Amino acid sequence: MDFKGRYNFDASPDRVFDAMTNPRTVAACLPGCDALEPLGDNRYQATMMIGVAAIKGRFKGTVELRDLERPVSYTLRVAGKGTVGFAKGQARIEIGESGSSSSVAVIAKAQVGGPVARVGQRLLAGTTKMVADKFFACLRQKVEGVPP
Amino acid sequence: MFAPEFDYYRAGSVAEARELLDAHPDSTVLAGGHSLIPILKLRLAAPAALIDIGRIDALRGIASDGSTIRIGALTTHAEIAASDLLKGKAAALPEAAGQIGDPAVRNRGTIGGNVAHADPASDLPAVLACLGAAFVIEGADGERRVSAPDFFQGLMTTAVGEDEILTGVELSEAGDGEASAYSKFAHPASRYAVIGTAAKVGLSDGVCTSARVVVGGLVPAPVRAGAVEQALVGQAVTTELIAEASRKVGDSLDDDDLLGDVYASAGYRKASAHAWVRGALSAAVARAG
Repeated sequence: MDFKGRYNFDASPDRVFDAMTNPRTVAACLPGCDALEPLGDNRYQATMMIGVAAIKGRFKGTVELRDLERPVSYTLRVAGKGTVGFAKGQARIEIGESGSSSSVAVIAKAQVGGPVARVGQRLLAGTTKMVADKFFACLRQKVEGVPP
Repeated sequence: MFAPEFDYYRAGSVAEARELLDAHPDSTVLAGGHSLIPILKLRLAAPAALIDIGRIDALRGIASDGSTIRIGALTTHAEIAASDLLKGKAAALPEAAGQIGDPAVRNRGTIGGNVAHADPASDLPAVLACLGAAFVIEGADGERRVSAPDFFQGLMTTAVGEDEILTGVELSEAGDGEASAYSKFAHPASRYAVIGTAAKVGLSDGVCTSARVVVGGLVPAPVRAGAVEQALVGQAVTTELIAEASRKVGDSLDDDDLLGDVYASAGYRKASAHAWVRGALSAAVARAG
């Protein structure tokens, strides 16, 4: 499954990059995520509850930040499994600057398997976009300092 | 597959169902079970408890006070499809309900369960959005009414909170010269809507006085086709006008939001949506005239 998205922020790339790579901010903004536990070397252990309607699953896995180049780009590697299936993926994040604002481009590729992939295929892309939209909306509030 | 183990509670009233929801964290409301039970059997969810509201008779039935029709959440698709009141005053709804799944699904599946599940490939969300429905939700602070744009928040996401229950849907009766219709591109195996289109029009002496067009199936939640509506209102309705207006449906569809699958890509659905819009509009106009 492929995912592409672009999100704009009214803040400098430095601020956006710092927020996106701060495990506490990420955990607070990722829907259903309680905490990111550091494992060292920019690797974290994550537990996430992802659910739409009655379909709900708890995922446990690792998140790794690589190729960090503040404030322009990094790569996010995620691997996890849960009751409804497993997922493994990589996302390239590039932050561009235009005047006083920033634009974040996300290009991700993921393999999803297990029950959710067999029967929930048509919902995967929509769910991914919904989680990403919620994440960036929350991040925008934190970065731009707008009260939620 | 077998469903994972869960505790089962049968509620005798909405108040009791809400108490059970409160008392059992990680519980899910069971109505007709035609979305939830397959999800359990496919192991896509494993709630600790099911709260069965299926035998609360107060939530069943269709009634009108002469201007507003109230449909209880537990009313089945078959009951809606057979309702003479709805056929006369909100034709798109029984038309859509009669095309859901197969007879077994229609005899057990309920309008409340259907919209609370809010599957993007479901028929009823687009129809109810088109008919300007109000969704009646009961929670700790009593009853509240939510309009369709606020109710359907996204893919399988609705305004119904964790501790709330959807108890019914309210519609306005179609007035003189008004009529609605539903037209659908059904997936040949599942009968789910690849594209579903609901239209409601008002006609006076052959001129369109009001129009509301809503599409579903190819979007996470129902989308109003404003450009199609604008192209119709104030115009003398002809076959050519309907075809021309229908082609504007793409203006209301955001490419980033469109859903596709291996059977029908997002691009294909977008490109063919106008044909189903035209079908719904033509049928609604024929009924209104």
